[in-house]
Amino acid sequence: MGGMHGFGAVVRVGSERAYDEAWEGRVFAISALIGSQRLGSGSGRALREQMPPDEYLRASYYERWLWSSERRLERKGTIGVGEVDRRLARLRDGEPVPRRTDPEFAVRAVAAERELEPLAPAGPTRFAIGTRVRVRRMRPDSHTRCPRYARGVTGVVEAVRGNDAFPDIGPYQGPSEPVYAVAFESADLFGPSEERPWTVMIDLFESYLEDT
Amino acid sequence: MSEDPALRAAALEALLVEEGVLSTDAIDAVVEHYERELGPQHGARVVARAWADPAYRERLLADGTAAVQELGIGGVELNTLVAVENTPGVHNLVVCTLCSCYPWPLLGLPPKWYKEPAYRARAVAEPRAVLREFGVELAADTRIRVWDSTSEVRYLVVPRRPDGSDGATEDELAALVTRDSMVGTGVL
Repeated sequence: MGGMHGFGAVVRVGSERAYDEAWEGRVFAISALIGSQRLGSGSGRALREQMPPDEYLRASYYERWLWSSERRLERKGTIGVGEVDRRLARLRDGEPVPRRTDPEFAVRAVAAERELEPLAPAGPTRFAIGTRVRVRRMRPDSHTRCPRYARGVTGVVEAVRGNDAFPDIGPYQGPSEPVYAVAFESADLFGPSEERPWTVMIDLFESYLEDT
Repeated sequence: MSEDPALRAAALEALLVEEGVLSTDAIDAVVEHYERELGPQHGARVVARAWADPAYRERLLADGTAAVQELGIGGVELNTLVAVENTPGVHNLVVCTLCSCYPWPLLGLPPKWYKEPAYRARAVAEPRAVLREFGVELAADTRIRVWDSTSEVRYLVVPRRPDGSDGATEDELAALVTRDSMVGTGVL
């Protein structure tokens, strides 16, 4: 969304909290469990971008997570399409939400949230630190981690972060390749501004970059 | 989407619990972990240690992931950490324009403004105007560096140590550090 306008003020009443309602926290936890317990298929982040754009912008943050959780579970076959709707109708008829405890599983569930998967050490790199690079012009029709506002713009490689799976394939299942921290001048990205020039640092996969 | 997301979320939970895929207490435990156990108090410990111990500061700036692991901090959304330090001439600001990437184990779950379109759109394109909304007015010659979290790398801002904090203990220093100062939308 970098550089889009018309969204108004950042700081609003109530915007300090992560969420307000208990269901939002539970949707977050269910989504985390879908990932750690491998109950779903596909990346929640990539799937959320497949919401119809008008729905995406109208939905609240955790409504998007709820939507992507259902899609991940359906893709894996953990739930069937339409099952949530049918369960919803039973709740409307006054059936309670069932409770079941499994203390050992609860301990494992939290332990999974403490696991790390660092980027792999950097392998051979095409661009050396200090090199000027241009972000390729592209129009991907699915998930990408190359922000639109940087495409076609030239910056300078400041660091190599390591190697990671190319996110545009799979998503997150492409070949491992270097990730660069690239420095851009504000005027190159956004043109003249009333503000003093600033720097925007963007982490970019090697496939997003080309020689100048 | 749904006219009543709370009810739809309950329906999904009911389905998963009924089918034996998830348990109620596992969901409770994960909610609890993120609401209570994680939070900016962990990031504050890291910053306080960096202020108090120059060797730790060096390690943090060289390899953030390893340095926070020394303090027992790590987990999902903190696979690789880069710490960036504010100086008299440089102010760092962190955003995720593509979604809502944020170092959960250090700061907890992000506030709503971090995840909403206004911040995601504006932080890269008019950072001083955004900072002003947070009550932050930087010196004219301060260079702002905005970090867009587009990869799996997560960022932590090490704010400038407040004047008059000489002689403070690490715990006292940690108490001075705010969440916003570690995102870059606040100064101390």
